[in-house]
Amino acid sequence: MKSTRSMVLVSADPESMDRGALDVFTELQKQIIEFGLEEEIALSMVNDISKPGFVPLVLVYPDAVIYGPIKPGDVHQIVEEHLYKGRVVEEKQISPYNLSGRIAWLSARKGTLPAENRIVLKNVGVIDPEDISDYIIHDGYQALGTVLNDLTPEETIALIKKSGLRGRGGAGFPTGLKWQFVNTAKGEKKYVICNADESEPGTFKDRLVLEGDPHAIIEAMLISAYAVGADEGIVYIRGEYGLAISRIKIAIEQARNFGLLGKNIFDTAFNFDLHIHAGAGAYICGEETALIESIEGNRGEPRSRPPYPTTAGLWQKPTLVNNVETLANIPAIIRNGAEWFQSIGTDSSPGTKVFTILGNVNVTGLIEVPMGITLREVISIYAKGMKNGANFKLAQTGGSSGSIIPSSLQDIPMDFDSYKKAGVSLGSGALLIANDEVCVVDLVKVLLNFFRNESCGKCYPCRIATPRAYEILTNISEGIGTMHDLDILLTMSKHLVELSLCGLGQTAGSPLKDFLTHFRAEVEAHIKLKVCPAGVCPMSGRRTY
Amino acid sequence: MIKLTIDGKNIEVQEGTTVLKAAEATGIYIPTLCSHPQLTPYGGCRLCMVEVEGAPTLQPSCTLPAVNGMVVKTNTEKVMKARKFVLTLIFSERNHFCMYCPVSDGDCELQNRAYDEDMTHWDLQPNWQPFNVDASHPYIILDNNRCILCRRCVRACDELVGNYTLGFEERGADSLLVADYNVPLGESSCISCGTCVQICPTGALIDRQSAYQGKETEVEHHIGVCVECPVGCQRDVLTRDNRLVRIEGDWDAPLNHGLLCEKGRFLPLEDDRDRILTPLIRKDGSLKATTWEEALKVAAESFNNEKGLAAITSTRLPAEDMALFKSIFGDNLKADLVTTLEEGKPTSSLAKMAEKLGKSFETSLESLKDTDAVLSLELDLVDDYQVAGFFIKRQLMNGTKLIVADSKDNKLAEATTMRFPLTSGEEADFLTQLLDAFENSSENPALIEIVNVLKESEKACIVYGEAFAANADETAITLLLNLAEKINARLIGVKGNANSMTAAQLELEAPINVEECQAAFILLGDEDPSQKLVKTLEEVPFVVAQTTYRSQLTGKADVVLPVAMWAEQSGTYLSLDGKMQKAIKSLDAPEGVLTSREVLQKIAKSLSIEPNMDWKASLMKRMPTVQIQEA
Repeated sequence: MKSTRSMVLVSADPESMDRGALDVFTELQKQIIEFGLEEEIALSMVNDISKPGFVPLVLVYPDAVIYGPIKPGDVHQIVEEHLYKGRVVEEKQISPYNLSGRIAWLSARKGTLPAENRIVLKNVGVIDPEDISDYIIHDGYQALGTVLNDLTPEETIALIKKSGLRGRGGAGFPTGLKWQFVNTAKGEKKYVICNADESEPGTFKDRLVLEGDPHAIIEAMLISAYAVGADEGIVYIRGEYGLAISRIKIAIEQARNFGLLGKNIFDTAFNFDLHIHAGAGAYICGEETALIESIEGNRGEPRSRPPYPTTAGLWQKPTLVNNVETLANIPAIIRNGAEWFQSIGTDSSPGTKVFTILGNVNVTGLIEVPMGITLREVISIYAKGMKNGANFKLAQTGGSSGSIIPSSLQDIPMDFDSYKKAGVSLGSGALLIANDEVCVVDLVKVLLNFFRNESCGKCYPCRIATPRAYEILTNISEGIGTMHDLDILLTMSKHLVELSLCGLGQTAGSPLKDFLTHFRAEVEAHIKLKVCPAGVCPMSGRRTY
Repeated sequence: MIKLTIDGKNIEVQEGTTVLKAAEATGIYIPTLCSHPQLTPYGGCRLCMVEVEGAPTLQPSCTLPAVNGMVVKTNTEKVMKARKFVLTLIFSERNHFCMYCPVSDGDCELQNRAYDEDMTHWDLQPNWQPFNVDASHPYIILDNNRCILCRRCVRACDELVGNYTLGFEERGADSLLVADYNVPLGESSCISCGTCVQICPTGALIDRQSAYQGKETEVEHHIGVCVECPVGCQRDVLTRDNRLVRIEGDWDAPLNHGLLCEKGRFLPLEDDRDRILTPLIRKDGSLKATTWEEALKVAAESFNNEKGLAAITSTRLPAEDMALFKSIFGDNLKADLVTTLEEGKPTSSLAKMAEKLGKSFETSLESLKDTDAVLSLELDLVDDYQVAGFFIKRQLMNGTKLIVADSKDNKLAEATTMRFPLTSGEEADFLTQLLDAFENSSENPALIEIVNVLKESEKACIVYGEAFAANADETAITLLLNLAEKINARLIGVKGNANSMTAAQLELEAPINVEECQAAFILLGDEDPSQKLVKTLEEVPFVVAQTTYRSQLTGKADVVLPVAMWAEQSGTYLSLDGKMQKAIKSLDAPEGVLTSREVLQKIAKSLSIEPNMDWKASLMKRMPTVQIQEA
């Protein structure tokens, strides 16, 4: 095991590769050895960090300095000046804005974003995700040791319960309580499943954790398995997440070699092993019972509840399903204690939340902030304000399965309960921020189009009402809607919530309600004046179907 | 017991009962579409939503287990509005314009639900997207335009039949009912049992025969036992104006619970054989119509002379007829040969063993429904006795093990990896080897696997067919009984015709030998004569055939007595597992055609014979292979 002073990353996206990233990498390797720095400096290639135009990028940690575009000829200078002598090569340096959203937080490491507080993303981008030693240096598997040696399963659950951690998948169910249900459920065989089927449009927080800190998930699953009495775990990863799948695979292999997976872990009686199940691209499979059906080889369709997965889940055995972000909090809570976790965030929703910022703002990307931050703060501090100084009109939370937050609600603290009180929901952590060039009819039409395509078809309200609502919205956007249509949409919204089998149908109703609650005048303009105030809708006056 | 309140009524139900079942038991009506009593709850259509105190949203009563103290309301305004909304959605989804549908006006559950809710119109733009109609199947038409995607057909195909032919492709509103990997139904793995048609709540799956032939309000129902094989399924024969409209399985039947097979459901409707409507006598080489009096007189004369007489009956006839036949030709006329067309092949060896042991050793078909391992000997339950095969096939997904030992190609064997080829006639060797492998480990890995499966099983069943029974001698059957005892298995003989068991009880099991017989009486009923029979009878100078249809036999016969077919007569049938069940007359026979029983009685009368009419007593004389139960 070695500890490194600096870490150098070379961008490895297709464009970088085209422009000779590999040559830069080899040259770096050579030069590092030439300067005798191989013991102090770790070097690796990383995907998907750069915007086109300035590649290949070379990033140096922990200084958070970005160089680009770099040719093999520049390498000598960088190694000599920066790595050997410790002086930043300013003429090659570029701004963090040239990084893609994924590591826009880079600047945080220089202390420019004081409110950001990393628990979930603490190790991401800092450690080598393909090296278990690096994770262990960064306190990895320490929490597992504590749990296995010093705590009973019940004490572990009590600790998680006390921390107040709530599920980050969207519903905000208390994690400790869920664990307790599985723990007390009857049955010899139990499963834990990590829900990494992150399919909400625009959300990629789980991906970052899986790609950047896979061992944290394995450690958390081990802890949860110990707490609930499971001996088998499954990481259900979205099929498109190729890098995440390969990283988790490598991590599982390494953990097995270290004896962290398998029989008699840490010389205790605890046995646990883990495998991967790749999703096939259906949004509905992020719903926990549909996910279980999918693992069993059936159509990915939700099951009726009760029974809940906690008593009859995978293969009808008690099953714990936790989201990636939820799990990523676990080792930190065990290491630092429930009080520490409670001190972050709000009383009812302690901890942090990872948000994906998208839309008409100056800086997009991932942030991890304490619960209870407001939308106004997110936009002005992290997103650096609206693009071109435009007005903030609304935010769409949660990918698709959230709410439309009008500007009037931008000062509500972003935590589960405050949002619920305001009649909106936090979703899974995407924040699509729109200026007033966005038409709300068009936005809701896009959302309903998504839902109608992703509805599994099992329960009738969701299967039939989503396409009907989409057709009505299309009519409105064509200028041929009627006021009666709005009544139908409201009825649909109410019944979708009331009648749908799973969360998909239930949340499909909320944009229909939200846009009529907050933006009714704009919608009515489409119908009564045949005008789209934002100038987005075609208003051709023709039926399109 | 669970105590709950539904609509103010206090109800007590067993734990695990759903709210829907609890409500139904109390007589409270909750409308459903995707739910069916024979299927596991699904919770798709959301029509059965009810209000439960304390629950934030409405709850589907079909999947919701009753819980102590639950307060349920089924008829609040909220519930009513939700029901109407769901129906509105369904009508807007596909082509549900009832006036063009063969099942509308009473037979369509969707339409009935809409009438119940006083629907006059729906508020949404209907969808005009047309879907394909699949008419490739010989009996079934699949019209996706009428489909409400309730998946009752798919679930029935999986859960009840175990054939897994039907499924859905795509998702959401694009979901489409398809067979296999979207092949035309007629080219699919469908075995034409028709359960999907019977369970479809709308007109999405209809059968060609009965479409537009008569609705529920216009037909008469006749529930009785199916006479196509000895499994003993109960079926409902629907008729209108003395015409067969449709045959359905009886959902309430204790054994088959609504299931039928192609032979029981569709084939009887396809019968286009040439019916004989008057008695015929051969004059100058050709058959001429005549009166009953003359025909009976000529027939009786041939029976009465002192020359050899052979009397052979079909085993598809009611027990009453067969007992009467035996009484007339065996007990009274003492004919040289009194037997059945089957010559006792499926039953006699086993019946003799039961007699020897003095006890019955076979068991009810019900045991197949909860078995954990099946050993099938010389029996293809995919081709024959299909409903018994369904009981096995549908459990294979749940871990029931299947071992098939057969000397021929066997379609049931496709469902298992444990196949053991036999040599016909050497079943005893197989049983010896198998029994030996229990004691001393075998070198044959296939045999070891079979032994392990049978050892582990707790409710094993051994089923065997006609090929086994016909070949088996006493040794083979003793080995079979030893095996059954060793693994505590239940034995079921699946073989023969609808009433072979009756033939066995009447000891009608002599091999057919008509040498030196001068006359033969063939009681064929509505069965088809085999080539072998026709050839055998060529040696007999005078043949009387009592039959429903023209056939090669009537071409040979000297006297033809026309009789009723299966649907035109009532009577008793002994199923292969000993259940005594009634077949019910559903149609009137054509004028001038009598039932077999009436003809036999007339023969007795013209011969001045007083036959023994106590058929039941004559059935009970012999020790049966399986206990006889009167329904």
